[in-house]
Amino acid sequence: MKQAGNKNTVFSLKSRLKRFKRDNNRWSALTLAIVVFLALPILFIGVELFAGPGETWSHIVEYLLPDYIWNSFFLIVFCSLLVLVFGVSSAWLVSRFDFPMRKALEWLLILPLAIPSYIVGYAYAGIFDYGGSLALLMEAVNLDFVRIDIMNRAGLAFVLSISLFPYVYVSARAFFLNQANNLLEASNMLGVGERKTFFKLMLPLARPAIVAGLVLVLMEVLNDYGAAKYYGVNTFTTGIFRSWFSLEEPETAVYLSALLIVIIFSLILIEKWQVRKVKFSSAKTNNQQIQRKVPKKSQKWLIFAVVFIPVLLGFVLPILQLIYWAFLTASKVFNMDFLWVSLQSFGISIVSALITVFFALLLIYFSKWSALRLIKNVARVGVLGYAIPGAVIAIGIMIPTLALDKWLIKVLGNMGIETGLIINGTLIALFYAYAVRFLAVAYNPIESTALKVDNSIPDSSKVLGVGNLKTFFKIEFPLIKTGIFSAVILVFIDVMKELPLTLILKPYHIDTLAVRAYEYASDEMVMEAAIPSLFIIFTAMIPVIFLNKLLIKK
Amino acid sequence: MRKIFVLTTALAVFASCGNKEEETTTENVETTEKAQVVNVYTHRHYEPDQKIFKMFEDETGIEVKVINASADELIQKMKMEGEQSPADVLITVDAGRLHRAKEQGLLQRIESNVLENNIPSHLQDVDNHWFGLTKRARIIAYAKDRVQPEDLTTYEDLVTEKWDDKILVRSSSNIYNQSLMASIIANDGEDIAKKWAAGMVENMARSPKGSDRDQVKAVVAGEGDLAIVNSYYIGKMLNSADPEEVKVAKEIGLFFPNQDGRGTHINVSGAGVAKYAPNKENAIRFIEFLISEEAQKIFTDANYEYPVLESVAPTADIKAWGDFKEDTLNLTKLGENNKKAVLLFDEAGWK
Repeated sequence: MKQAGNKNTVFSLKSRLKRFKRDNNRWSALTLAIVVFLALPILFIGVELFAGPGETWSHIVEYLLPDYIWNSFFLIVFCSLLVLVFGVSSAWLVSRFDFPMRKALEWLLILPLAIPSYIVGYAYAGIFDYGGSLALLMEAVNLDFVRIDIMNRAGLAFVLSISLFPYVYVSARAFFLNQANNLLEASNMLGVGERKTFFKLMLPLARPAIVAGLVLVLMEVLNDYGAAKYYGVNTFTTGIFRSWFSLEEPETAVYLSALLIVIIFSLILIEKWQVRKVKFSSAKTNNQQIQRKVPKKSQKWLIFAVVFIPVLLGFVLPILQLIYWAFLTASKVFNMDFLWVSLQSFGISIVSALITVFFALLLIYFSKWSALRLIKNVARVGVLGYAIPGAVIAIGIMIPTLALDKWLIKVLGNMGIETGLIINGTLIALFYAYAVRFLAVAYNPIESTALKVDNSIPDSSKVLGVGNLKTFFKIEFPLIKTGIFSAVILVFIDVMKELPLTLILKPYHIDTLAVRAYEYASDEMVMEAAIPSLFIIFTAMIPVIFLNKLLIKK
Repeated sequence: MRKIFVLTTALAVFASCGNKEEETTTENVETTEKAQVVNVYTHRHYEPDQKIFKMFEDETGIEVKVINASADELIQKMKMEGEQSPADVLITVDAGRLHRAKEQGLLQRIESNVLENNIPSHLQDVDNHWFGLTKRARIIAYAKDRVQPEDLTTYEDLVTEKWDDKILVRSSSNIYNQSLMASIIANDGEDIAKKWAAGMVENMARSPKGSDRDQVKAVVAGEGDLAIVNSYYIGKMLNSADPEEVKVAKEIGLFFPNQDGRGTHINVSGAGVAKYAPNKENAIRFIEFLISEEAQKIFTDANYEYPVLESVAPTADIKAWGDFKEDTLNLTKLGENNKKAVLLFDEAGWK
């Protein structure tokens, strides 16, 4: 028995090795190289874990951790609920029905993403404030002002949900528009009612797309610093800042980051697991776009109202508040310099978006071309950056790049060339950091469209002797184009809004709008922050509209 | 077609950014020998500062290059950059952070009679590593209709029963609160400080949230009777673009605590010269300029801070609050006790 068992393991080891040799190819090594490159900052922080937590760790566990866990849990649950309600309902209604102003609403629903969530938080605080917009309005119509306190946990969940639901909206709508038509027709033909079709058929099928969006939302929620701090809600991220900076213990902050990463990682695993459960292969790429139904007149306006509510709450109201503030402060804040800063922001964002999407594509396709199973899981490690607060990533980037810089200075110095820091304090470090931070934002939409491309298509191309790269450009790229463009836009918007990382890594004389807005807001000049915020929003709107045109044309 | 157009314009924009970047880096290398610069890492994001930097440039021909971020992040950055750090000057908005930078070996001792003689001794580092530039007081804003100023005395008195559910104050992650706590630790000892924090939590009208300005608004809204705030925010509210804010600021009374004892807690915004400053001479000149009469006047007139220079009078709005006795505890103590303060806050449950 024993011998047999032994033999068996030896045999399986051998066969495994064989399989490894068979499946291993240069793409495996390349994938690994990219993952290491992108995970380097995270690895450097991970290494610190072995040093043990700082001396205040037990203090944090005793006094703060229960609060962090409870608040983060609360936010996860309530934001998930709200985001699903807003995101999925609006995605379905605009995809399925034709109603007044549908086309405008379709892209208006993406726009809340263009406003940084902390700015939405400030705007809502301003609306509900004593002497705020709501109070003034009530006074104007002679109503008693009932003050609603929004600055608490529930208010924070609302603010984050209303500014982040478009992630779910975008991915759910992409599914409904491009994948749902055949099934919908079949369901209609079989006489199944509209409601049942949605709940029994569409919702389960759209689940992978919806959950992919939801995971992005939850990562953003857990990562939020500005809004949580202002609303007085202590979360892991505020805790990371507190232990790193107030308690001067980077080691402890790293421990908190690690805990946060565990939470995020389990969310990702849950996503993977539930997608596996609903493996579906209907996704023929010859699926036609959905046929829209024209509802009855009374229903038309009801649908309009339901779709308009998230736009109103997530975009119109905050924007009105910002415009009011901008109007109050215009003479003080506005100058031509803003146009130049906007151009810089735009340029930096578009280039980092392209770089990040490029890395996401490499990661997805290299790991696909490598036949090794293991590599596919390894590839996902590259996505982790999104779970880590920008400030922590910035530090993680500085450790290896500074070492490299110092080495370069030494080597070049020996050759008689005097230089300063080559990577740090230049755009290179900034682009690198954005790629690490936002890879997940690019990875998910591309992956979810790439998954829908039936493997038989590229496979038959390869059987005919066409190489991987050519197959990609000739066949796969046109098929996943939408995913790629959504990825570019989403990363673009995220970079426009990004703050802590930009603050630390940006070069002299490069300014972004988010930095401008922050400079005001951090000094309690929230009103003065309105003009740079509006500039962010308008700059981010351009590509959003562009993306939408592209989707419709298709 | 349109796609290509947009992409090319975007690339063009980037290219221009990229070029700019190259220019500035090469400039950087050259400037250390030729043109004069001073690289400033600053936590102060105020517009008046830019005006002052411009004045300095016009007067001296030394170009001021600025990196703006929070003091904590700037300190981390300097630490990692080490000897290669381009920073010449570090400016923060509280003494605790300057002390921390000094402790971590990021600042250097400088000799300057101008700074030494013009800045009161409790507002500068004992080893000349940093110097205070402007002062802010942590004061009490009260509801005029509900509070008699005679009932107010000291910070320590705020934990007595008469203020139960009446106090508004922001989060303990705020550096101004940490420094106030550090001063109480230094003046009264750790035990009393710990009890004080617990008593404050007991007397809070609501869980801490929002900014200093929000606390003042909450007083007027009737959520509580007292708010602990930084003096210069009141000055800013009085001159706010929002008429509602001006109204609020006019409705509250101001009280300077501990006048019969050690004096009201103050903090400074200050500056030090970086340990590896490539332009040390310029850095000293720059800091000296910041306490010149013209610069000090802008600090107080446009940003409502108290000047450190005695010959410059505070701006009319804050002068109207009257003179007050300030706590002359050496501000180094704030830095030394900062971590202790944060730990005690946590233990007391001050969020």
